[in-house]
Amino acid sequence: MRKLAMALGGSAVLVLAAWSLGRETSSAQGGRATPGAAALDSTTAPVLAAADTARLKGPRQPIFFRHDIHAGQYKMQCQYCHYSVGASSEPGIPSMQTCMGCHLVIGGADSATRAEIQKVRDAYNQKQPVEWVRVHYLARHAHFPHMRHMKALGPTACATCHGDVTRMPQVFKVNNITNMGWCIDCHLEKDVSRDCSVCHY
Amino acid sequence: MATNSSEQSNGGMNRRKFLSVVGVAGGGAAVLPGCSTDRVQKLVPYLIQDENQVPGLATTYASTCTECPAGCGLHVKTREARAIKLEGNPDHPINTGALCARGHAGLQGLYNPGRLKSPMVRNADGSLDPVSWDDALARLSQEVARAGSGTRVISGAGPGTFSDLLAAWTQALGGRLVRYQPFDHEPLRAANRRVFGIDSVPSYDFGRAKYILEFGADFLETWLSPVEHHRGFARAHGYHDGEMAKFVSLTPRMSMTGMNADEWHPITPGSEAAVALAMANVILSERSGAPSDANALRGMLARHTPEAAAQEAGLGAEAIRRVAREFASAKPSLAVAGGIGSQHRGAEMLCAAVNLLNYIAGNVGQTIDFGAPVPTGDGYGALEALTSAMRDGHVGLVIVHESNPAYTVPATVQFEAAFTRVGFKVSTASVLDETAALCDLILPNHHGLERWDDLRPRPGVRSLMQPVMEPVFDTRATGDVLLDVARAAESGPLAQFTAASFEAHLKQAWVGVAQARGSTDPEQFWVDALARGGVFEDSPAAPVVSLAADAAQIVATAPAFDGDGDLVFMAYPSPMLFDGRGANKPWLLENPDPVTKVTWRSCLELHPDTAKALDVREGEILRLTSPHGSIEAPVYVYPGLHPGVVATPLGFGHTAYGDYAQGRGVNALDLLGAAPGAGGGLGFVAYASTRVRTERTGRYQQVPKTEGNPRQLGRGIAEAMPIGLAQRGLTPKEAHYAEVGGEPHEVNTERELEALAGFAEAQEHAATKGDYVGEHPQWGMVIDLARCTGCSACVTACYAENNIPTVGEQEVLRGREMSWMRIERYFEGGEDPGEPVEARFVPMLCQHCGNAPCEPVCPVYAAYHTTDGLNGQAYNRCVGTRYCGNNCPYKVRYFNWFPYNERSFPDPLHLQLNPDVTVRARGVMEKCTFCVQRIRGAQNRAALEDRDLMDGDVTPACAQACPADAIVFGDRMDPESRVSRAGRDHRGYHVFDALHVRPAVTYLAKVRYQEEG
Repeated sequence: MRKLAMALGGSAVLVLAAWSLGRETSSAQGGRATPGAAALDSTTAPVLAAADTARLKGPRQPIFFRHDIHAGQYKMQCQYCHYSVGASSEPGIPSMQTCMGCHLVIGGADSATRAEIQKVRDAYNQKQPVEWVRVHYLARHAHFPHMRHMKALGPTACATCHGDVTRMPQVFKVNNITNMGWCIDCHLEKDVSRDCSVCHY
Repeated sequence: MATNSSEQSNGGMNRRKFLSVVGVAGGGAAVLPGCSTDRVQKLVPYLIQDENQVPGLATTYASTCTECPAGCGLHVKTREARAIKLEGNPDHPINTGALCARGHAGLQGLYNPGRLKSPMVRNADGSLDPVSWDDALARLSQEVARAGSGTRVISGAGPGTFSDLLAAWTQALGGRLVRYQPFDHEPLRAANRRVFGIDSVPSYDFGRAKYILEFGADFLETWLSPVEHHRGFARAHGYHDGEMAKFVSLTPRMSMTGMNADEWHPITPGSEAAVALAMANVILSERSGAPSDANALRGMLARHTPEAAAQEAGLGAEAIRRVAREFASAKPSLAVAGGIGSQHRGAEMLCAAVNLLNYIAGNVGQTIDFGAPVPTGDGYGALEALTSAMRDGHVGLVIVHESNPAYTVPATVQFEAAFTRVGFKVSTASVLDETAALCDLILPNHHGLERWDDLRPRPGVRSLMQPVMEPVFDTRATGDVLLDVARAAESGPLAQFTAASFEAHLKQAWVGVAQARGSTDPEQFWVDALARGGVFEDSPAAPVVSLAADAAQIVATAPAFDGDGDLVFMAYPSPMLFDGRGANKPWLLENPDPVTKVTWRSCLELHPDTAKALDVREGEILRLTSPHGSIEAPVYVYPGLHPGVVATPLGFGHTAYGDYAQGRGVNALDLLGAAPGAGGGLGFVAYASTRVRTERTGRYQQVPKTEGNPRQLGRGIAEAMPIGLAQRGLTPKEAHYAEVGGEPHEVNTERELEALAGFAEAQEHAATKGDYVGEHPQWGMVIDLARCTGCSACVTACYAENNIPTVGEQEVLRGREMSWMRIERYFEGGEDPGEPVEARFVPMLCQHCGNAPCEPVCPVYAAYHTTDGLNGQAYNRCVGTRYCGNNCPYKVRYFNWFPYNERSFPDPLHLQLNPDVTVRARGVMEKCTFCVQRIRGAQNRAALEDRDLMDGDVTPACAQACPADAIVFGDRMDPESRVSRAGRDHRGYHVFDALHVRPAVTYLAKVRYQEEG
């Protein structure tokens, strides 16, 4: 694996850099992170190859989609892709067409990136949507209306639960959101309803 | 209201097929234990985002119900491109937003596990095997070309563009189309022809009637247009401002419709026409004001004296006179007859007699509208003729569409033997029913929710159907099949049908509809019509109706009966299963019959006196033998029958039609004879003209019924008061003391006052513990028993909305049904000979008590009170002690004894599950939540719009479904809300008030015409 990484990425130094970056971001996001409060202030996402993902936290995705490049370096709004988060309880996963809106033109700067973008194009052309591995989930008896939280906390509130994905080359679960205490802490702090039937029905 | 009109209009299904419609995780509720953390592991995006589908938000499409010929408008709620709930279309003139139990269960037809997954062809060895559509269509084309004018089509499709195409297609071939509905009301049509010279069935306006007389027409169940009748009936008979119409039922069997009557007279089977004519005689001889041409009837009617009719019917002559006078003085009034349950040999005479009664009372043109005839088929006579032709081997090809004659005609007709003599038999059934099982080629049609069509349930109403989702299986719309065959023919008679698809054909037809209405933009007209559900206009003005020349020639003689048994056999239409098409839908099987409260099977219904005379009791299996056959079924005893009859519902006893339907109950048609052969044909099936002999078998089978005790035993659950007392503004309690004497118990002793003070203190203290005070709404419900008819539409709506599992017959026998909403039925009277029987209905659901007995006994706080006045049930907290259920005085808590969630939704029924509601796992207690998901949804919407909730924002599924508008829901803290205003009615009471559990559900006592005290 490492040999392959060296061959693809070009140098072992880079891999090490990625490894340390992963550590720093994760430590910065251990608590309730707010955007801009991270230790690293760079807006340029590190160059990484798909093969490097083994060293990153979080599940490995079928395509090495870089939240740190899209949302961090290029500062795309979360809602650009997660389009229904302000209107629905489901945040919305971008359709393959949304990806192709840019990637019809943008093919990637280096061979590793190009290979990943080619996967998106292939999936679209073959009409086979990419099956992303789910990172955040709630039990089925808990109903989480994303739109109410966006309405109350504003469009940058995503990081409250999801962590600062603008610094995540590969998304991982920062907070134990499956634990009800995570919800209740905030509801206590903001003095909003803690009635069971608000979420459980 | 979002509609998919734009999406459907540009590209339609082809584009949809291109979309890989895979719901975003969480939306597609798979069958998984609800209270586990089992999770969807993959997030699969759309390839192309459908602009009408936002994950997590419902999209609603307008369509039309096809569960009976009435043609109600639907709003189909879809989530992530799957239909999850059917609701009534509020803009539709037929049902104005309500929907019956059968309509709701249409969803289980869409997702039925018994549906055919692909076309089937009969192979050389006689087995039915799957085949590709290309091969199947090629085979059909070949057979059609071979048969040519020998083609016969049996179709149950209602009038509309598809039926027009089918008729034109058959005609082009030179073949013949038989439009056949099992419940076609042929006697009614024949009587109209005879009395008025009009060959149609009119529509009936119950809403305007001030007096309703029913001679065995179950107008709230299966007769013509039940939901529309419900809405009218509730308007007329629902008590308001001191007034209500009186409803008198004269039938041998008290149907659900009859249970709503102020007076029910169990008259002798077959005597209805004599009674109706005697009433007409009384009115004509005593009163002026009848149309002048009615004088010609005087001679004929004079022969029908009340005394003679009274003797025949077993009813007092004075009662006949009184009802006739009341009927004539209430203007307008309405008399109806011609229901399937009383369709005996003399049914045409009965309908004719009732026509005369209406005519003399001046109701024709008032409550009876011949300007808006309801659609009928060609009648049973046409099918009979076709059956003879088939028996003689004269038929080369038969195509059966939306019809199941092998089941719906009596066995003695030997339809099966005749049908098998046909050269080639094709069915378009989507389920392998009895007829399809005999066919050589099956081309499964799309379900009504998967295909394009329109229906014309009456003049002025064109109701559209549109596909609301991708087809569940590899099926094909029959309209497209017809066009495919035409295309394959290239030349010849079928070449005139050139439309590329049925969708294109329909849109082309609608260009004509648009132009006829002066629209310059047919495309926009189409889009608007699709969004609204169709085009709704007033029906043409009613024609002036006068008596036909030979109207006076009616001779009412008692109809003859087959056989020589002691009891008259009445096969009545089940309000749940209709003509049998509901038998494969578990929601309808588990929804108890409104009258008997029996689920999942049919029983033989007997009067208690008859049961005593036969020495049988409930559950004993009785054998009935007629000259035509015999059936065996357990006995069910109740007082709502004439002692001389034995009744059983139609629709059971299937030998095919999927696993749910097969072998369940008995087929009542097995006892019936075919109508006499050629020449003497009645033109309809006489369902109530057979006498049967009974024979005890000594075997027993427990009856799976949901009733506990059929009597209230003084518990005051279903209160009613005479109209005189209601007009005086009395409360149910005051009315009770006014009737039976005595006085209310006063709280006066020192101990009582002390207890009450202590309780008040404790309540105040409790209120400081939670977030109970402040600006929260307090949800409440008012149920008006003067409007509730017991139809059980709310029950099925609740099953659909709340993912309630059906438990099956064996579990119902153990009392484990899960119906959060149930209709309790109680009998009053009828215990002494001659004492009138009265039935009452109470919809019983969680009362959301303010002082709930279930809450303090829960060791884990799963049952608790929410700040907005709900009795909450946190499934994920519940550990299944069942203490709450034991402590509930209303028995409205239901326990998941088994993983019903895994058993009750076999693939693909699970696709119907509402993703907004947790699917409960084994070991969890559940109950009515007042549709908390709808409350939270409305609160979310209001918050996004920066506004407060308004009255009417939240409507639970039951209130939405109710065709009688008996249920009102809202915030009790708002004094101006509908629920607060309704709850202040003097008729309001709480069930088990003395327990002081302070329910949030207030019932309004039923009001009845009866003597006071």
